[in-house]
Amino acid sequence: MLRTIERLALRLLAVTDAAANRLYSARLNPLYQSGTIVVVLYLSLVATGLWLILFYRVGAPWESVARLTANPWIGTWVRALHRYASDAAVVATLVHAFRMFAQGRSWGARALAWVSGGLLAFLLLLCGWTGYVLVWDTFGERLAIEGARMFDALPFLSEPLARTFTGERPVPSVFFFVTLFAHIGIPLGMGVVFWLHIKRLERPVLLPPRALAWASIACLTAVSIASPLVMAPRANAFALPEVIPSDVFFAFWMPVTGRLSGGTALALLTAGVIAFLVLPAFTKRGADDKPLPSVVDEDICTGCFQCSRDCPYGAIQMIERANRRSLLVAHVDPDLCVSCGICAGSCAPMGVGPPGRTGRDQLAQIQTFLASPARRPGEIVAVCCAHGAAAYRSALAAEGAATYATDCAGNLHTSSIEMLLRGGAGGVLVLTCPPRDCWNREGPKWLTERVYHDREAELQARVDRARVRIVPVAAGECREAVLAFREFLADVSRLALPMRDRSVAIEAECERTPVGDRA
Amino acid sequence: MTGVPRAVGVLLAIAATVGLSRASSTPFSPHGEQAVLRLAWTARPERIEDCRQRSDEELQKLPAHMRQSIACAGTTATYRLEVRWNDEVILQQSVRGGGLRHDRPLYLFRDIRLPPGDGTIVVQFARVESVPASTHRENSSDERDEGRQSMAMNDARRRRELEERTRGREEAIPPSLSLERRLHLASRKVVLVTYDAERRDLVVIDGSH
Repeated sequence: MLRTIERLALRLLAVTDAAANRLYSARLNPLYQSGTIVVVLYLSLVATGLWLILFYRVGAPWESVARLTANPWIGTWVRALHRYASDAAVVATLVHAFRMFAQGRSWGARALAWVSGGLLAFLLLLCGWTGYVLVWDTFGERLAIEGARMFDALPFLSEPLARTFTGERPVPSVFFFVTLFAHIGIPLGMGVVFWLHIKRLERPVLLPPRALAWASIACLTAVSIASPLVMAPRANAFALPEVIPSDVFFAFWMPVTGRLSGGTALALLTAGVIAFLVLPAFTKRGADDKPLPSVVDEDICTGCFQCSRDCPYGAIQMIERANRRSLLVAHVDPDLCVSCGICAGSCAPMGVGPPGRTGRDQLAQIQTFLASPARRPGEIVAVCCAHGAAAYRSALAAEGAATYATDCAGNLHTSSIEMLLRGGAGGVLVLTCPPRDCWNREGPKWLTERVYHDREAELQARVDRARVRIVPVAAGECREAVLAFREFLADVSRLALPMRDRSVAIEAECERTPVGDRA
Repeated sequence: MTGVPRAVGVLLAIAATVGLSRASSTPFSPHGEQAVLRLAWTARPERIEDCRQRSDEELQKLPAHMRQSIACAGTTATYRLEVRWNDEVILQQSVRGGGLRHDRPLYLFRDIRLPPGDGTIVVQFARVESVPASTHRENSSDERDEGRQSMAMNDARRRRELEERTRGREEAIPPSLSLERRLHLASRKVVLVTYDAERRDLVVIDGSH
């Protein structure tokens, strides 16, 4: 059931991503940058929050906020920006979670990121809750009462919190002081959880491209100025407002829980949070389906560090080797490995990678591919990432391309490209996912570095770069992929027909040579 | 990227931001036209106890800071709350003290939605147990004997103990409370019925003061 939902979500994502790429380009696609946009919004919330706190008074909460809101120079738009940025943060968080769920990036080694992300989302909602209560208007009062009803279902307090809002006596200042303390403290706690969230990532990208970051802030600021906030009436325990101006991003649950008892509402919300957190347990792949972690062939490993540097998840450490000339050998932590295969693409001697996907395995598969009677000399081979371009292999085949699938562009060893060309292909078009949408984070980046910038496991200088092209296309961009193929075909057709060249035996270069035997 | 998709993208971003600001203040009407009768109070329930005078020997065996001349065992009272609106019972509820042993103060907080209009409210809050707890305690032969001199406790200590027990009795909610009042319930207004500890009676607050 969940897997079906996951597949449907992935289809939806492919369509929306492609549409957003057309409108904003892959680099500035906000759907790809949902996680980093949350960070930008968080920073803007901190900045505006620090300003707002200067004017807040716990002894007169509504009055101080009303005074601030009435001031067009220092208050109105800053408060509106604070509010809209928090709403946008909820939306961006949802988009980010949806993407991770749809792409199956929530289980295994990524479960920590999913769970900590769920906690961050919960803390964000909790922080927004406290923020609205601080205003102490009709909406804040309603949130406070709902929260108190749920909180009172727990046997924590000697006196029910809900009685604070009965009107029997004024709400004490200490309540607003504690709420303010929580409103400031929760974001600090979010910083710690955020560290956990990205703990397993190497080189985490924290901020979106500047243009997108400033555009996001500019849009929110513009709407804050154009559509300023209006103060809702002051909370009054003896008057039920006809209409409450409710924020659906933070109070989406209120229409449901308002009809339930405090205990039931709390149980329902708790169940929702737990269901979200344990989702990876239900979507993770079974033993047959689960990709295996990378393994190291210690006889081949030269201890060069490259796989350790390139691994996007910090799953490879260099450890001391006993009784060998090379001091170090790569060691894969299977608990951290997501089986992306990027290490296989990074290893010049082809000594590391997931079983069946090491450089040597790739060469063997390409030999089989080239031996097929369907191969024609001079044809273009489109290497398609399984998470993107592989979705429209048939469309490319209809254009005359020979298609070859790889699990991730970063997994593709440059020797595979060379072998395809030496095997008679007129050109190799690698269709990667857009860099910000790589399921394995850094696949397109490392492939580009290896092909064009001599990063270790580089494409050899003897290979004609005019016959190799890397084009990022998303899963829903079939038309763009076909156009890229046609363009590449036209460019390659201007080159002389390639000759099959077996003079350099790639396989022999990568012969299994124990480290200790090397000169 | 040509100009048209870029323009569409900008327009879409603006529309999304405006939509976000609208959704940030969505009108929500949770209350309807009804009025609310709110019952909310906190009070210490009566203790129903069987008390006896400790002998000097018993007191001598206790650490000095734990010596109390009267030893009481018992529980707290249970109360029955009944609310009538125009002679129609709208709430019946049993109320006990808080905590697992029900020895904490009792708390009551109920919102009852009623149609707006005039009517008579009758609230009765009465102890369920037939044993007159406070009377029982005051009449206890052992407790009457608490003026008896004890070698194990000095006078100041005995006086303090007596004062504490007296205060406990006085702070407890009376065995029976009753309120009958003609009320006007306006639409979406809240009328609060609460317990005034100083007057030791139920009072009505409508927020007009």
